[in-house]
Amino acid sequence: MRRGPNQWCLLALAWLVLSGVTASSQERIFPFPITEFELDNGLRVVGVDYDSPGIVAYYTVVRTGSRNEVEPGFSGYAHFFEHMMFRGTEKYPTDAYTDAVKRLGADSNAFTTDDWTAYHTVASADALETIIDLESDRFLNLDYSIDDYRTEAGAILGEYNLNFSNPVALLRESVRDLAYTTHPYKHTTIGLLEDIQAMPEHYDYSVEFYDRYYRPENCFIVVVGDFDPTELERLAEQYYGLWEPGDFEPTISVEPPQTEERTAEITWPNPTLPWMTIAYHAPAFSDETIDMPAMDVLSQLLFSQTSPLFQQLYLSDQVVDVLSGGAVDHRDPPLFEVLIRITKPDQIDYVRDTVLAEIERMKTEPVDAQLLADTKSAMRYSFASGLNSPGPIAETLGHYLQLTGDPETVNRVYELYDQVTADDIQATAARYFAETNRTVVVLTQEAE
Amino acid sequence: MMSRRHTAWLGGGLGLALAMVACSAADTPALPSAQGVAQPAPNSPLITLRVMFDTGSIDDPAGREGLNALTALMIGQGGTADLSYQELTATLYPWAASISTQADKEVTTVIGEVHVDHLKPFYDIFRELIVAPRFDEADFARNRDFLSNGIVAGLRGNDDEELGKQALNAWLYEGHPYAATEMGTEEGLAAITLDDVAAYHGARYTRDNVMVGVGGGYPDGFLARVEADLVAALPAGDGAARTLPEPRHLQGHELLFVEKDAIATAISIGFPLEITRADDDFYPLMVANSYLGEHRTFNGRLMNQMRGLRGLNYGDYSYIEQFIQDGGSTFPVPNIPRRQQFFSIWIRPVPHHNAAFALRQAIRELALLVDEGLLEEDFEATREYLVNYANLYVQTTSRRLGYAMDSRFYGTDFFIDEIRSRLMELTVEDVNAAVRRHLQADHLAVAIVTSDAEGFRDVLLSDEPPSITYNTEVSDDILGEDEAIKGYELPINTERIRIVPVEEMFKRVS
Repeated sequence: MRRGPNQWCLLALAWLVLSGVTASSQERIFPFPITEFELDNGLRVVGVDYDSPGIVAYYTVVRTGSRNEVEPGFSGYAHFFEHMMFRGTEKYPTDAYTDAVKRLGADSNAFTTDDWTAYHTVASADALETIIDLESDRFLNLDYSIDDYRTEAGAILGEYNLNFSNPVALLRESVRDLAYTTHPYKHTTIGLLEDIQAMPEHYDYSVEFYDRYYRPENCFIVVVGDFDPTELERLAEQYYGLWEPGDFEPTISVEPPQTEERTAEITWPNPTLPWMTIAYHAPAFSDETIDMPAMDVLSQLLFSQTSPLFQQLYLSDQVVDVLSGGAVDHRDPPLFEVLIRITKPDQIDYVRDTVLAEIERMKTEPVDAQLLADTKSAMRYSFASGLNSPGPIAETLGHYLQLTGDPETVNRVYELYDQVTADDIQATAARYFAETNRTVVVLTQEAE
Repeated sequence: MMSRRHTAWLGGGLGLALAMVACSAADTPALPSAQGVAQPAPNSPLITLRVMFDTGSIDDPAGREGLNALTALMIGQGGTADLSYQELTATLYPWAASISTQADKEVTTVIGEVHVDHLKPFYDIFRELIVAPRFDEADFARNRDFLSNGIVAGLRGNDDEELGKQALNAWLYEGHPYAATEMGTEEGLAAITLDDVAAYHGARYTRDNVMVGVGGGYPDGFLARVEADLVAALPAGDGAARTLPEPRHLQGHELLFVEKDAIATAISIGFPLEITRADDDFYPLMVANSYLGEHRTFNGRLMNQMRGLRGLNYGDYSYIEQFIQDGGSTFPVPNIPRRQQFFSIWIRPVPHHNAAFALRQAIRELALLVDEGLLEEDFEATREYLVNYANLYVQTTSRRLGYAMDSRFYGTDFFIDEIRSRLMELTVEDVNAAVRRHLQADHLAVAIVTSDAEGFRDVLLSDEPPSITYNTEVSDDILGEDEAIKGYELPINTERIRIVPVEEMFKRVS
């Protein structure tokens, strides 16, 4: 039994009333109230009022990632250090820390990227002070033995091993190594195998890493959900007030412009379909200039499920089953990476040529106005849909905070997306999608 | 970021609730209001639809393994009568709406996510995909290749951890309807025709087999409308009950080695369990399992003893039901219920030279749990953890809806409420008694993905204790326990050792 059209009209009215958050381009993309304060030592605390009765997300954002691994032979330390942060303090040795988190019933973990490291906990709102006590203690007073350090190196190797049962890990490592010459983005966040294997011998470097980067002026606290802002400020002052600021500034090499195309072919010892990455150096994150937002729109125009490439290679020719492309926001110029899995191994050249031809077309043909509008709509709705619980909201805000230090960045960058024009698309494509700026790596199954 | 539509292939879950089967009678299209599940969140602009069908890989005909998965994929990655797949994706694109399917052993779920601004046109498409998918030849060819590649390239060559889990499933459930992967088998997929898919859809996507769930800021009467639409448009089922035989009884430690060029050794261990969330003993076992190996936390002994103290690998966990991690979270995806479950231990890749030690240590930890149980203090701490942690299972409306539907499937109250109320009634004696009733370390299926299978087998069968190499000095306590681990004997059933080259895995059901 179906309802008639009139009934749908009635329902539609109800939806308008219910719609508390919209993805309209006229509204700020980040709809929740933000409070912010800074301690004397430079630690900044950002709170987000979000309707999640009884639950709070607590993120510590460290503006340090594998980008900070500037010394040769020491790749992977930002990630390694993320592991060491669970190795205890005098007040809360490892077991005591684990027991305390366990009793809270908290979901607590961490992750590391090229640019930042996040320590995150989601728990009952009434546990907030305990969380702050535990988190501040390990940021101020971490204390691990050389034996703990060396034991944890085994877990790092284990993580490397599990990642590298997938050929995409090898592909990414190869692309980075080829595309960059001096910038730390030359290596992936997990680090190089030889550096990981040498980690057990570099306890002193790990201590120095902590001393350099785990400082209040290099961190943010992001709290989302059910909490009292006044109480948060009191607790932050109480628990983080004695944290001493640092002054270390890493010297991060500037990657020189690439002047010719770079290519490589690599093999995988186990069954696999061919994989290919086509990469271009892309603009660093900015909430002020149009290049980076234009590149993000370009990635949708080229590789979304409505794109001509997707229609041709995936639906019509059926020669690929993975096709994606884009650049992840980075503080320094990242790679715009096209990742492709080719289902017919004799079609590698065809796929490559088809993708490159479509990229060339973006330089010369203006994008259809409706398609551009649809793309911007998709980006806004997609973003809005992800803000559905305290954890993702805190992570989203943390992401933008580590990039610029300003929580308003999230709104500014989506305003920029709305401003991207067809001319911007063409100009950005012409600027970055040059053959001399390109790196191509193809991975195939090793011949028997 | 985009409205990527996809089908998820899941490796586990429980089975069809009797309540659902009981509704299979036929010509009473008045149904499901009693079955519909609602999770309203009036202030949310997001809406989730979950439509779960009592159809899974156990319904694949012999020689057509993968038919259920492929049919689901024709919904998740296909078109409607009015819209080709290409047109459909173009329509969803500006809304960033998604329609996906999740296919498991016993149920298959169609999941829609949309902003309230677009609910009406979205729902029209969502409904038509379910009741009258397009069954286009080109979509069929592409989707079948996708599944086949998932086995031939994905499982065999791109993910040793998933390979280990699926190898355990095949070994554990040999001869049982659960034996094939949820994606099917290489030969089964090759044999399927588009006519097979259309016929399967007509037989399995019926009004008697459906459970509807809606969550979020949907309008009044929406659930009833969805139910009425589906009941009106879907055919009646045949009313036949789906029988499920008992899994075979394991005899000692049965070893399946999958040989490939692996950078490290991945190990999965398990045995069938006779309980599910519908049983009282599930809840005390939940406490015991959390103590032994809570997923991706340092709460479990396996994680602390193997990774924390010894640095053997990245992680070691245990489970009392099928567990698929939901994205980057630490929580299981909902809507993978099964009538039969299994206990398992997941040892993430270990350097080859330490793998035999790791295997022995994990099994010994299980044996210690069975023999010694939990101490009162361990019980109290673990229970407190689980009661609080359970709240975090359902942080989004979509997940809450999924769990509510699973509870309906099992015939229980809302799972999260069940955890809280039942755990608060438990004693440590209850937990240890349930452990003794259901867990054991003597009869296990073990799947080992490694590069030198014969060498590993010989190490396990020899009288030589396994070695372990450390990066650093370790305490006398650890070294002392290591000796106990090395001396722990595995009752390996030499008649049940098999070495299979990875290229031979999942070709057909053995």
